[in-house]
Amino acid sequence: MTSADQPLPLRAPSPVDEADRAALLRMAEGELAALEDLYDRYKSMAYSIAYRITNDATLAEDVVQDAFLGAWRNAARYMEGRGSVKTWLLSIVHHRAIDAVRRRRPTTELPDMETALPVALTLPDVWAEVSAILDADTVRSALEALSEVQREALELAYFGGLTQFEIAERTGTPLGTVKSRMRLGLLAMRRSLEVGST
Amino acid sequence: MSGSDAMPELTCDEVREMAGAFVLGALDARDEAAVRAHLATAHADAHSEIAELGGVVAAFAELVPAVEPPAGLKARIMAAAAADLEARGGPAAATGAAAVPAGVAVPTAPAAPVAFPTAEERAARRARTSTGTWLLRIAAVLVIAALGGWNLLLQGDLSAARSYQQSVAVVLDTAAQPGSLTAVLAGEGGTGAGLAAVDTKGNVALAIRNLAPTSGTAVYEAWVIASDGVPVPLGGFAVGKDGTASFGASGLPTASGIVLALTLEPGPGAKTPTLPIVSKGVATAASG
Repeated sequence: MTSADQPLPLRAPSPVDEADRAALLRMAEGELAALEDLYDRYKSMAYSIAYRITNDATLAEDVVQDAFLGAWRNAARYMEGRGSVKTWLLSIVHHRAIDAVRRRRPTTELPDMETALPVALTLPDVWAEVSAILDADTVRSALEALSEVQREALELAYFGGLTQFEIAERTGTPLGTVKSRMRLGLLAMRRSLEVGST
Repeated sequence: MSGSDAMPELTCDEVREMAGAFVLGALDARDEAAVRAHLATAHADAHSEIAELGGVVAAFAELVPAVEPPAGLKARIMAAAAADLEARGGPAAATGAAAVPAGVAVPTAPAAPVAFPTAEERAARRARTSTGTWLLRIAAVLVIAALGGWNLLLQGDLSAARSYQQSVAVVLDTAAQPGSLTAVLAGEGGTGAGLAAVDTKGNVALAIRNLAPTSGTAVYEAWVIASDGVPVPLGGFAVGKDGTASFGASGLPTASGIVLALTLEPGPGAKTPTLPIVSKGVATAASG
């Protein structure tokens, strides 16, 4: 029995979730058509995220290709996690995209150990969504409800791919303050989204 | 924290402080590894907040304006995955056993006995030609294009390599047209590995390699077999010492499931094929 058989902690799986999980199982067995299904379902979101972060069409293509291949090669590992395949896949895209922009920045120090990490460890964690019915307006409202400095820290991290050190340097803010802004900003958003989804 | 080369050992309070940066991907690799190491120990239960914050980060994807990826990206990804599967030597065959006709096996490992397919075989192949089939075709194209050109370069035949690459490019151009059919041709032991594409007007382009050179009046004859099961000659061509050939013909049926085949004939103008079949493949629509 895999964890895919277990109920999700925060919400029941939707039919799309079930189809995605089935696709992952088929991918783990080496079925290429399952990858095709997943790509067709999430190509737009995946490319949109990659393009938004890299602002480079060629780099975004590479990111999306790398992410889907990562999902293809690690489909069996997903079954050990929780949350939706969509969240997992888009998290891979996000991580790959910020990796790509950091590598592109000449001033960014790339720790040696990063390249030494096995692929499996560079995959993002699987987290359950706060809600199954989030839409752009709801999320945007939650983000806009934050203080300006909290919102700035979150946007520089998620969309800009900046590390906490880079955010501190760019905004002239102590590192500890940046950490707090990110954590408290996300906690506040979570409260907003939970209210908004009930 | 990032000033030391050694991975720092974090306390629960330090991990809690970095929770937001961790789920946003805003830690450098060293700190991220340190957080993971901490969570991997007995402390995971103390950090349920991390999972909660991670769920919020996932919601950011909803804020991104929609941009459609280029049409060719899908083919690139699927080709790479097919190549990965082939490299593993694992379920590629298992997948193919269920969904891939023998005629579209990658040319490095053809498994089909070379014989004219019966009507039942053709019907079964059409039924089994699922959406995943063309993915293996793409991988096969890459194998054909790369290995064919590379082998020729190894042999020092640069002009033959260029000629072969050009013929592959012609086939790919035809295959890229909407509604076109593609076929991967393969014979026993890698003989006659090739790719063909048929456009909606019934024009076929074929690039093929690993053919024994012809001599005298002998030619390779191309055949098409439609639903009536009758081989129809398309024309012949000679093959030089490099073992490659390109071929074009018109007037082919454009229905998915037609079979393309090559035979070696004692002379041009054959009306019936001389067995055995050297190479063959089933042409089907390149979906997606």
